[in-house]
Amino acid sequence: MLTLGTQGKNTFLKAVNDKSGANVLECYQCGKCVGTCPVSEFMDFPPREIMQMIKLGLKNECYMANSHWFCLTCSACSGRCPREIDIPAVMEAIRHLAIEENYVNDSKKVREIRKFHEIFLDMVKRYGRNYELRMMAEFNIRTRNLFKDMHLAPKALLKGKIPLGVKPLKSAKAIKRMYEVAEKLEKNK
Amino acid sequence: MKKLTYFPGCSAHGTSEEFDSTLKLALKTLEVELEDIPDWNCCGATSAHVMTENLAYALPLRNLVLAEKLENTTMGIACASCYQRMKVTKVHMDENPALAARINTTIVEEGTYQGKVDVKSMLQYAYEDIGIETIKSKVTNPLTGLKVACYYGCLLTRPKKITMFDSPEYPMSMDRICEALGATATDFDYKTECCGASFSISNTEVVEGLSGKILEMAKESGAHAIVVACPLCQSNLDMRQPDIEKKSGKKIGMPIFYFTQLMALAFGHPVEKLKFSKHIVPVEGALANIGKAEPAPEKTKKTTKAVEAESEEN
Repeated sequence: MLTLGTQGKNTFLKAVNDKSGANVLECYQCGKCVGTCPVSEFMDFPPREIMQMIKLGLKNECYMANSHWFCLTCSACSGRCPREIDIPAVMEAIRHLAIEENYVNDSKKVREIRKFHEIFLDMVKRYGRNYELRMMAEFNIRTRNLFKDMHLAPKALLKGKIPLGVKPLKSAKAIKRMYEVAEKLEKNK
Repeated sequence: MKKLTYFPGCSAHGTSEEFDSTLKLALKTLEVELEDIPDWNCCGATSAHVMTENLAYALPLRNLVLAEKLENTTMGIACASCYQRMKVTKVHMDENPALAARINTTIVEEGTYQGKVDVKSMLQYAYEDIGIETIKSKVTNPLTGLKVACYYGCLLTRPKKITMFDSPEYPMSMDRICEALGATATDFDYKTECCGASFSISNTEVVEGLSGKILEMAKESGAHAIVVACPLCQSNLDMRQPDIEKKSGKKIGMPIFYFTQLMALAFGHPVEKLKFSKHIVPVEGALANIGKAEPAPEKTKKTTKAVEAESEEN
């Protein structure tokens, strides 16, 4: 029988609580978060269900769900949660744990969301700053979707909304080193 | 001249250049001089905190440490996402010295974090540090007749324990600034709904759905335009608007102003300097309302929501 993880056997619950600083056990399943969440309709499991799944120790199901990838960290849910649980931090904890433990949700949408973030971080690593046009171009190339948003490009470029130049940061080296140290910290946890 | 440490953010040199330049115009009138953080770097929003914890703190921390070397102890941030990451980092570093020590190992050369600098969004700075009365006193070209829906998005007021500013549900600071400029702020229920933010490129359909609802509600509130304080909100609502109209088959035609553009306009700066040409949705129709309608009655009856928001503040 599945029992709520109060006996210390639910290591997944403990990992999520430790990482997020929240106490998932306080959730009493009212569902206010689901009604508030602007993207719950796109999630495999809306926030309320994710909370219960953590309590039940359903680690694989949580990691493989797209929910934490769709969370926009808008914090509307936590502002309205009667138990004042930091739900975006819980979502973030699941996401970070899933990445650390190499769980990959291979659906097209999650792949694209993840690819976008990787390209963004790559760009900052190289230049110290983000350059929107390059990022859009790289996203289209790396997701094999060359013509996405191309209809917006002429107008945006004409209006000078998106500059073409890239000015690397003076201390781009400092940023590269920061990435290296941060990666090491990530591994040593 | 007051001085303020300034973090422009990456989009200030790209999609939101008009936010940056009109902010500087408005602050010139208000006698505030901005001092850029030398050699600032990207704050990592949103991608860094999505993917990894350490980098999510390290990128903003470097800027905080660099800012501590300047004389002024308040940092003003134009972009709402940058503001949020910087403030989250500051609050967590101040609360947790062990975390601060760990993250500080990523930025050896620049120095050690001391927590000397306060972090504010430019909206918060305008509302709290400059103040409505001062803003009002500089208006030479009141925007009477212009009805605006003030859109705050998620990050300027939420989560409350991080931002410590205005109401997370029904904020009023931007409304009061717009009213000080002579415009009328409409009752707008979607003030703090999410526009889809960083899904702009990777999940465009979601952005079109969420931003579409915001535009529709703003129109229903009777507004001629939406006013924002965030580059990503502006680009989602403005640049994606033609596609949203195409999908729904309904014409919206709602220009999206930065609050700094309206400030500079009301302070009498020439229209050519306000960079309205950068907008995808033309602004002329909305601006034509200025001076056209009769001035709003002295004290309009406060709406229940405004009263609630006020009582929450106190």
